[in-house]
Amino acid sequence: MKIKKGFVLRKVGGESVVVPVGEMSKQFHGMINLNETGAFLWTFFSAEHTVDEGVAALLAEYDVDEQLARADVEQFVKTIVANGFAE
Amino acid sequence: MIYDIAGLRILIENRCKYTERFCAAYLSADQTSPVHLSAKVTNEEFYEEKNASVQDFSDGYIENICLYRGICRQLPSLNRMLLHAAVLEYDGNGYAFLGKSGTGKSTHTGLWLKYLDGSKIVNGDKPILQAAKEHFIAYGTPWMGKEGLGCNSSVPLKGLCFLEQAKTNEIVRLSPSEAATRLFSQILLPTDEENAAKTLELADELIAKTPAYLLKCTISEDAVKASYEAMTGKEYSKR
Repeated sequence: MKIKKGFVLRKVGGESVVVPVGEMSKQFHGMINLNETGAFLWTFFSAEHTVDEGVAALLAEYDVDEQLARADVEQFVKTIVANGFAE
Repeated sequence: MIYDIAGLRILIENRCKYTERFCAAYLSADQTSPVHLSAKVTNEEFYEEKNASVQDFSDGYIENICLYRGICRQLPSLNRMLLHAAVLEYDGNGYAFLGKSGTGKSTHTGLWLKYLDGSKIVNGDKPILQAAKEHFIAYGTPWMGKEGLGCNSSVPLKGLCFLEQAKTNEIVRLSPSEAATRLFSQILLPTDEENAAKTLELADELIAKTPAYLLKCTISEDAVKASYEAMTGKEYSKR
């Protein structure tokens, strides 16, 4: 899975937000709010990676068990795909 | 013609005379030196705006709106941003009042003018902010809302006050994330990557450097007391 090009992620007031730019801004209007894990996964999946790689990355970064990490990654990927943000 | 707006030299290439009259107070004495940015409205943009407008505005008015949007989209890379707010100056400091249209920005700022001698409106609707070392600087611009309240001046911005109508007066300090959420609906987000990213960075810096409040208020002197005391840290004395 890889997130399409055309988004900018920044922290504003301590919260991570993503906004569409360029061509993407014509297809998608609005702003995406991400929690800490979401921001981490967004950055990670900005390059092509598998779900398993996402789980491994999450485990290396945060003190969580594998089951929870996998659930987080699967939910994240599902949301990205459902919104049409995946390549 | 070249205008001096928000500390920038801006070349405005307008077709309708409207904008020249509109920006007259900001005309630069130097019409030859290089400019920081330029604005010109394409046919496509002009007709898009004209077709979208609910009223039958003049071509000059439509072009004028497009010109300001064109200018504002280029501001972030120059360390500046548009803020939809009314900015007041009192005792050398600037205070921004924000809220959706119709929440009473002009009513509340009107009360400051009435009760606080020496207060003046820098821009009643669309000031430009510049990031500076300690505080942001708010600039007056020719574009200042339908009441046309404002002047060609600048002031260090010391507070952001989001307004909501209520039956009683209450003011609370907003957390950075609460301020961010409210701020997003009052800024212009350009669609090119550089300026979009810079807008978010400026918004973050603005929240870090400027205390933000939520004022739930009535139309009264007590409402002025609430916002004045919270933002200036001074005691308000009724006249």
